[in-house]
Amino acid sequence: MVSKDCVAMILAGGQGSRLGALTKNVAKPAVPFGGKYRIIDFPLSNCVHSGIDTVGVLTQYQPLELNRYIGNGNPWDLDRSHGGIYVLPPYQSAQTGEWYKGTANAIYQNISFLEGFKPENVLILSGDHIYKMHYGEMLKAHKQSGAAATIAVMPVPWEEASRFGIMNVDENGTITEFEEKPAEPKSNLASMGIYIFRYDVLKKYLEADERDPASSNDFGKNIIPTMLADGEKMVSFRFEGYWKDVGTIQSLWEANMDLIDNPPKFDLNDRHWSIYSRNMALAPHYVGNNAKITNSTVTEGCYIDGSIDHSVVFGAVELGEGSVVKDSVVMPGAKIGKNVVIEKAVIGADAVIGDGAKVGVNASDDNKYASKLCTNDLVLVEGGAEIAAEEDIYKGSMVEA
Amino acid sequence: MRRDTMGIILTNDDRIPPITDIRANSALPIAGRYRIIDFVLSNMANAGITNIGVATESNYSSLMDHIKSGKPWDLDRKNWGLNILPPSLEKMTYGAIKGNIDMLAGISDFLQRSPQTYVILSLGNNIYNINFADVIEQHIESQADVTILYKDMHGVEERELSRFTMLELDENKRVTDIEVQPYYPKTAIAGMDVYVMEKALLESIVDECSARGDRDFVKDALVKKMQGLRIYGYEHTGYTDKIDSLKAYYRNNMNFLDKDIRNELFNPKNPIYTKTKDQSPTKYGEEASVSNSFISDGCIIEGTVINCVLSRGVKVKKGAVIKNSIIMQDSIIEEDVDLSHVVFDKEVYITKGRKLIGQESYPLAISKGTKI
Repeated sequence: MVSKDCVAMILAGGQGSRLGALTKNVAKPAVPFGGKYRIIDFPLSNCVHSGIDTVGVLTQYQPLELNRYIGNGNPWDLDRSHGGIYVLPPYQSAQTGEWYKGTANAIYQNISFLEGFKPENVLILSGDHIYKMHYGEMLKAHKQSGAAATIAVMPVPWEEASRFGIMNVDENGTITEFEEKPAEPKSNLASMGIYIFRYDVLKKYLEADERDPASSNDFGKNIIPTMLADGEKMVSFRFEGYWKDVGTIQSLWEANMDLIDNPPKFDLNDRHWSIYSRNMALAPHYVGNNAKITNSTVTEGCYIDGSIDHSVVFGAVELGEGSVVKDSVVMPGAKIGKNVVIEKAVIGADAVIGDGAKVGVNASDDNKYASKLCTNDLVLVEGGAEIAAEEDIYKGSMVEA
Repeated sequence: MRRDTMGIILTNDDRIPPITDIRANSALPIAGRYRIIDFVLSNMANAGITNIGVATESNYSSLMDHIKSGKPWDLDRKNWGLNILPPSLEKMTYGAIKGNIDMLAGISDFLQRSPQTYVILSLGNNIYNINFADVIEQHIESQADVTILYKDMHGVEERELSRFTMLELDENKRVTDIEVQPYYPKTAIAGMDVYVMEKALLESIVDECSARGDRDFVKDALVKKMQGLRIYGYEHTGYTDKIDSLKAYYRNNMNFLDKDIRNELFNPKNPIYTKTKDQSPTKYGEEASVSNSFISDGCIIEGTVINCVLSRGVKVKKGAVIKNSIIMQDSIIEEDVDLSHVVFDKEVYITKGRKLIGQESYPLAISKGTKI
């Protein structure tokens, strides 16, 4: 087999439990985002635009929908004869067989996959971030520096730095220290969870890590600190631009809202860096005589006859006459009746909202749907859930199907 | 799955200046994100037909770019799949294609190589959504030699009917007479330019006509052989029209604003596929005002759009007002422009404050890349 300069491995096994009902039946990377995408479209599209044509996707939690979505990889141009996309679930081998114990263990369990491509370098990505990044430039910097590993970092506001893994670097960008969520950060350069390793070094450390029963087999907790302690050359690669971890309902909602600001904080209408996604083969959307759409995005297959303001509406959504959707995210196939009011909500795929219902309009202390996960008065309606006509769903609710 | 049937699509030469100046009629953008040929191709693919030849005549680069390997229709197959068949210079009469017999003669090798028993022969500029599997079944059951798809157009004015190949049927739906685009049509049974027959019959017709210098499949073969052939009609009860003039192009686009027509043609059980462009969702600005319109992805709308069909990537700036118009891909309408009844080809650029007004009976068509 042809040996590859760089193979990408996307960690897509996370449950994403803070996304509540959104990830009840799907893995976090398969959660819809931005009107017509899923979260995993971002790292996949970045790979393709960066010239990386061999990608392993490590799945574990609720993989069915993600597997089906990825298919043969053709939406991302990753249906290749030499390379392409591979879904890599944990498997049973002659001696052992176990779930992925941590991010490092997930890669360790797929060393034989990597061996097949004899890569010079391995790019480790996570499947839950929204950003556009040229990995090719990072790879170039990695090769020039001759580092054992290069870690993408970005400056974050100082007051938020203690929420991240913080890299302390010297004037050349060489990493001197790594601190996971430090109480008193010495730097504001946060690790983005994007690593390029020289494959020979990575293999050595993964094997050593696996032999250590005390290790939690995690890149951030184990592999990187160990490599630093051993004096391996570790270099930071500074990224400036939009990057968002969409691990909570609040951050997922915010990241969607970032698309519709004027000018947008994150622009998807970018012909030079298209984000690819599996297409639903739907007709253009129809905007009816009673519709009013402002400060929003709407996509194929929708039938809109109500008002939409400051919202992200996915494909094949129906919105009846007299209904108003504001500051919300409406996922594919949701059917919203007439005279419905929805404010600051995330409506899951194929949810049905009956005529005259109110979602996120009123507040109440006696709320049977109240959820700790729905912060800042957000409402989450699970995909496929049905809300009866005239029902009042209070702020801060999570309605499950 | 009709593995026993192949499809032949003849891209035809109905000229609609200026929008067909740069592309074959079948490659005309329609309904925002589609091309006309998507309808017949999707119908064939949905019936499980996996060997389809698209015979081209001229101006076919846009068509080839659209179809490529046939992936959107799942026609990128190991065996057969989609074949674009450029014209064969050797088979042209006097150095030019003079009729569909020449086109078919030019692809006789492809016909010969194909192992299927039946063939659906279709022109590439008709709009309809049909289950071809049912058509083939009826063709076999009725033991017809040729089955012609038709639409009963009672109530449609005579002038309109003269655009079609008109059929006369007996009570068993056997075709008793055919007239191609008669000025005074005798019936209201309009052929849809779709013919089902055994491949062997098509081959022999093409060979015979070609040898005699005949050029037209309908006039020279079907009409002359009416007595000897069992020709039957298959009625399509749904929507259909052919795109053979600017008026028809305009009207058919506008028809997509009708919910029933839209739901019929874009029936999720028989989807119409097209090449995907991976454009981002359409963005509506603060002052956007859109009603009764069909909007594709990738547009940025800040102005007013009423009764329009917008293709992908159209930009409508603040204060611009577009009514009753069809705007193709990547056109830019600057601030305070006033448009009514226009058909814009791709990448038309209208500078600030311009006013362009066409009429419903005579829409104003602007060619690709024009800057006004």
